[in-house]
Amino acid sequence: MLLLELFWSFVKIGFTSFGGLSMIPLITSEMLAHGWMTAEEVSDIVGIAEMTPGPVGLNCATFAGMRTAGIIGAFAANLGALVPSLTFCALAAMFFERFKNSRRMTQVLVGVRPASLGMIAGMMVTMTMQNYVRADTVSWVCVGIGLLDALLLMKWKVSIPAVIGISAVLGLLFFGVLGL
Amino acid sequence: MKRFRKILTLFLEFMKFGCFTFGGGWSIVSQMQKLYVERKKTITAEELLDLTSVSRSLPGTMIGNVAMLYGYRMAGYPGGVVCAIGLTLPPLAILAVITHFYTLFRTNVWVAAAMTGVRAAVVPIILSAVLGLIKGAFQYPPCYAVAALTLGLYLIWNVNCVWLVLIGAVCGIVICEVYKRRNGNAAA
Repeated sequence: MLLLELFWSFVKIGFTSFGGLSMIPLITSEMLAHGWMTAEEVSDIVGIAEMTPGPVGLNCATFAGMRTAGIIGAFAANLGALVPSLTFCALAAMFFERFKNSRRMTQVLVGVRPASLGMIAGMMVTMTMQNYVRADTVSWVCVGIGLLDALLLMKWKVSIPAVIGISAVLGLLFFGVLGL
Repeated sequence: MKRFRKILTLFLEFMKFGCFTFGGGWSIVSQMQKLYVERKKTITAEELLDLTSVSRSLPGTMIGNVAMLYGYRMAGYPGGVVCAIGLTLPPLAILAVITHFYTLFRTNVWVAAAMTGVRAAVVPIILSAVLGLIKGAFQYPPCYAVAALTLGLYLIWNVNCVWLVLIGAVCGIVICEVYKRRNGNAAA
């Protein structure tokens, strides 16, 4: 009943995420809890998802589904992630005029937004401890690449796919060619 | 028959959007703007903005929600379903192929080296996106406490994210109601 589990996992992820980024902590915890992905793979998929078309959440669904149950798994996971759109959002579409000014929904978001930021910050801490450590020691090359990426993104406004490309080349150079 | 053709057109249009959704939901909104607001004139710019803001405030992927809202408006529930699924298929196909090759090659020395570099980019990418979200996230001072609380629960006690979101939702309602009462009293 792997397919059902995958589907249900992404239904949960879908219903508790508001906007692309807030899905990542939820995906991380669901994937690790089921043993479907390692923490390293979650980082890989975020990188891959940012380079390819499609929102991060759906791309993670495809990745997790493929890795655990092949193409059928990918369909099951994507369908799960779409369930909120197919149900809750359809209701909103029916009562759109009333929904547009719904006070309750705005109130919920006042709390959910900072809660998501807290979760994302926590996830960034665990990811940092993972992604800049190789063979149990801090890899200063990785830290250097990360700092360079931060500058490229925030100071010089380089696009995300370009930054990922640059990081991949630097990785090839330092860890492949130079064999660090 | 006419309705069927309408739904088929919607499906194809959203599949085309789905091929070019780099960097999340905003690129499909701008594609919708070009096709539906400027060329076909099926909705106005204000209506599209309404669709976008409602879909951002609902749970789920934003683009799935936008597709459902637009499709429903054009052709009822089947229209919404068709738009949401049409939008999802291209990224699904592309990522399925990529995942296939990732699985084949990830133990290859060169691929592993490149992925180590990519992994170093993930935290800065998330950070740069988060900085854009901070502005709208702390409407009232207690919102900072909510963020600190979920951070602590996540990191120290490893609490399931589903609970953290629910805690956030409850806190949001409580915070808003408290501030509303207080402001109401001040006015009276």
